Amino acid sequence: MERKIGVYICECGPNIAEKIDIDKVIDAISSSEDVTVAEKFKLLCSADGKKFLEEQIKKHNLTHFVVAACSPKEHEKTFMEVSENSGINPYLFQLANIREQCAWITEDKDEATKKAIRMIKAAIGRVRYHSSLDKKEIDSNPDVLVIGGGIAGIEASLQLASPDRKVYLVEKASSLGGLVTNFEKNFLGMKPISDFIDKKIQDVKHNENIKIFTDTEVEEAIGFFGNFEIKLKNPDEEIESIGFNVGAIVLATGSKLFDPKIIPEYGYGKIDNVLTSLEFEKMNKDGKISLKNGKTPKSVAIIHCVGRDEKGYCSEICCMYSLKFARYLKDKIPQVKVTNFYSDLCIPGKTHQKFYEQTKAKNVDMVRFSDIEIAKNKDQMTLEYKDEKGGKKSLLADMIILSPAVEPSIDASKMAEITGISQDEEGFYEEAHEKINPVSTSTEGIYIIGCAQGPKNITDTLVQSEAAAGKILSSLVPGRKIEPEVKTSEISESFCIGCKTCLSVCSYGAITFDETKKVSVVNEVICRGCGNCVAACPSGAASIKHFKFNQIYQEVKEAIK
Amino acid sequence: MAEKFEPRIVGFLCNWCSYAGADLAGTSKLKVPSSLTPIRVMCSSRIDPVLVETAFLQGADGVLVAGCHPGDCHYGEGNYYARRRFAILKKVVEGLGLESDRLRLSWVSASEGQRFADVVNEFNEKIKKMGPSTIKEKKSL
Amino acid sequence: MTEKKHNADVLVIGAGIAGIEASLMLSKADRKVHLVEKTSYTGGTTIKFEEVFSNMECSTCMVAPIQQELLQDKNINLLTLAEVEEVKGSFGDFTIKVSKKARYVDMVNCIGCNACFEPCPVSLKNEFEEGLSERKAIYVPCAGALPNVPMIDTENCIRFKGKKCTACQEACMFEAIDYNQKDEKLELKVGAIIVATGFNIFDSKKLPKYGYGKFDDVYSALEFERLYASNGPTEGKIILKNGNAPKSAAIVHCVGRDEKGYCSSVCCMYSLKFNHYLKTKIPEIEISEFYTDLCIPGKSHQKFYEKMKETKVNMIRASEIEITKHGKEMAVKYNNGSGKKNTLSVDMVILAPAIQPSDTASKLAKTLGINLDEYGFFQEENLEGSSVLSSKPGIFIAGCAQGAKNIQDSVSQATAAVGKILSSS
Repeated sequence: MERKIGVYICECGPNIAEKIDIDKVIDAISSSEDVTVAEKFKLLCSADGKKFLEEQIKKHNLTHFVVAACSPKEHEKTFMEVSENSGINPYLFQLANIREQCAWITEDKDEATKKAIRMIKAAIGRVRYHSSLDKKEIDSNPDVLVIGGGIAGIEASLQLASPDRKVYLVEKASSLGGLVTNFEKNFLGMKPISDFIDKKIQDVKHNENIKIFTDTEVEEAIGFFGNFEIKLKNPDEEIESIGFNVGAIVLATGSKLFDPKIIPEYGYGKIDNVLTSLEFEKMNKDGKISLKNGKTPKSVAIIHCVGRDEKGYCSEICCMYSLKFARYLKDKIPQVKVTNFYSDLCIPGKTHQKFYEQTKAKNVDMVRFSDIEIAKNKDQMTLEYKDEKGGKKSLLADMIILSPAVEPSIDASKMAEITGISQDEEGFYEEAHEKINPVSTSTEGIYIIGCAQGPKNITDTLVQSEAAAGKILSSLVPGRKIEPEVKTSEISESFCIGCKTCLSVCSYGAITFDETKKVSVVNEVICRGCGNCVAACPSGAASIKHFKFNQIYQEVKEAIK
Repeated sequence: MAEKFEPRIVGFLCNWCSYAGADLAGTSKLKVPSSLTPIRVMCSSRIDPVLVETAFLQGADGVLVAGCHPGDCHYGEGNYYARRRFAILKKVVEGLGLESDRLRLSWVSASEGQRFADVVNEFNEKIKKMGPSTIKEKKSL
Repeated sequence: MTEKKHNADVLVIGAGIAGIEASLMLSKADRKVHLVEKTSYTGGTTIKFEEVFSNMECSTCMVAPIQQELLQDKNINLLTLAEVEEVKGSFGDFTIKVSKKARYVDMVNCIGCNACFEPCPVSLKNEFEEGLSERKAIYVPCAGALPNVPMIDTENCIRFKGKKCTACQEACMFEAIDYNQKDEKLELKVGAIIVATGFNIFDSKKLPKYGYGKFDDVYSALEFERLYASNGPTEGKIILKNGNAPKSAAIVHCVGRDEKGYCSSVCCMYSLKFNHYLKTKIPEIEISEFYTDLCIPGKSHQKFYEKMKETKVNMIRASEIEITKHGKEMAVKYNNGSGKKNTLSVDMVILAPAIQPSDTASKLAKTLGINLDEYGFFQEENLEGSSVLSSKPGIFIAGCAQGAKNIQDSVSQATAAVGKILSSS
């Protein structure tokens, strides 16, 4: 089919008209035989301008069109819409940025004009090699798999489940609730947690749109956003795996505590009555705080930051729950001596400082320490430490509670491997963007919430559950098709030599290897169009739609003239 | 008669950071040499040896590849690959018989209009001192 | 009995990072959003930063793409220079009255060429630049502000004060300046409201011992951010008021913490970021950070602190801090960790003041009929439950409007508020 290119130069008022000799430009570009028309217009992005373009396209039966105006970031979308409205595929259009990157930065009118000619010829050259690209639409499954039945997974499930959207909640233990079922109170309002968590568990159990699997683990999760194939290991090993499809996956695998045995100075596992925070929570919830010999402790030391140096991060919740412990103790054993040993008090959050001050007022000793060592001393223990001023001090205690660092759960690595998402050095799942996309991962459709993403308290966990729900509810709408990126990579089967280099450079896991054909295949739904695989491909088999070599080559050719 | 040497520099700018930085140089009305013609790519990781080679074989006096600062890449790690490839690309340039300094890699963020202007100004001066690419001279013979 | 229809549209108050993210997500879910912003620009406080912790990513690069998306999104009705005046109704059916000040510049005709600034005869301190540079009466707050359309500050424009002047209009080639624009009163009907009005910082002048407002080179955090910003008043050059580069600086954490009664959660991290800023521009500079308790929770934050320690920053746990003048320099008087009194001479002092509720919070709370907590932040319905639920159903809170927090947590809350709206209506 004969190519008819229309080239339109925007004067942008005086912005381009005064800096570039547009008539000279029109002369220079009109000589090409397939440039059917080259005209200027005062302001192409205005309503009049758009109307003018639409009329021109129809009048000249244009097949391609080029606009020379401002930055694509301003109006590429505008002119692509004009294309579409006029019956030209929007990708048969190219915008030459002769304003921001020519008129506005070049003093000499002559030079600016010459550069504008180069840039517009480059755009014309490029557009000749453009192909029509069509929006893709794929069916999607709105259902969601939630891995982990703790408070994070429970909340996410409740937010997501609806008659249009089934939630599969998978928990490896026999019951739901996770770690918080061990706590008596939540440190924020010091209210009983059981009311809160029991109700949530009941809500989940009674929700007919949530299917719960306990004593179950995820075996396989293959696919992509909108279409994941899931296999669960059936708890009854006689029966084969349970399989179903979902559109999104939420990882809420929680956390565990750092093992204080790694630091012998704490005496954990060696000396009686040295407990971890979780052990103390359980003891407190069961109703009696007592020593191994059944007696009530008279002096308790709570040590913050256990394992902080080894892990290399602050676990955020320990200072607050250590203060909560001080309260548990003072409420239940009014005469008990409580000493909290901390390095830096981490109490961000508008109500946390008040909580701290109220705790201190209950006659709790707060000691800033360094270098602590615990030794058995008959029935008790001696804590030797350096105080704030560096002086050596010691304290006798009956019971020592250690607040260890929060680590990802023991299953985090397995789940990361099964779902194909990445973990950081510490094993926490990695978010897509630290600041503006904390519950997404670089794999579209897979979300991370709660302590699996990083240590956090219950309130912030609930926020992340709701946030992941928000992400899914807005992007995986029942009945709505998914429109993935158009300008994706493609790999020519004939040229692919099967070296798999492209697989290794793709940050999104968008390329898989077809073992039968021995070639790499791009999943167009996952591909984000960065072009890394194209540059990495040694045989030239990989190319990126709309940024093909021959298209860029045209621009390079003109840029040098 | 020696004609005044007007360099021709190809600038591959990544869509998210450096192209936006170049736009900002424009919005701020800074002076940027017209010797550089910008070519937009989605990511600096798109730039492969063939593109760079082609540019020089066509007669480019200089090639600038600009991307996001390390850690800021819109696609996560693309610019790290660009950085790694750059070392090899320098050898490619030398293989063509040209000074490897005719290829430059710079990081320019979307808010660094001034930096973009500075980078191009400095590169342009350097290329002017180096003189025209010998490939271009061979072509014109 | 007819069932009352639940309005699917949403009002988002505040176009900072939280408001922008919430609006974009709601639009993705095909909801119509009215985004009401009291200033002339989007991006809130985040766009004042050059870089953000903990990977020192360029803040503009992070925010500009989503601002552009916002401006081009057909589902989002961005109303700048607008404030909510009245709210009636309940969840599913709110009637909102919004007052919108005239910009006096046509948002469609204006192409953002800035030609109207130069001829304006009025010059005054630019609030966005924390008073460190000047602007005209017709202005955009900073280079790269979005929407890239100026506004006329009628309180300072001589034409609006009665004099004859058409300088800006004459300079405009696009007929974009329209002195006849009028303030508007709009009525909107929505089903839900998200409050994302951000924060202000504590006025360090209230604590004279820090010398703020008294000594030339005592800067508050936002002033220093602008000093370092490449699109700021000095294009990123860190210089003292006398034009010289500082040789030493003190960064003082926890300014106003005792007065406010809470830890503002982000200051230790951004104070360390400031160390990075200073060392980047002035490698030989000596920096001392004065802190009480180092608050750096988060899986990546301590790594950043360790990296900063390698730049030989002096971390001093201190109390009883006082800034005094010492000849040409200033002196930081303090008690160190052992209780000993010490003095340190510095050229420059940067204060990290407490984060407090925005000035408009109290009025807005009354208008919306929702509670504020004892600190003046919007109060969550239930301390133990979701922190995005306000005291009134259908009204959600996100970001620093609910309490001091970093960008990650603000975005999480914004997304959570949207999640709540999408799952319940």
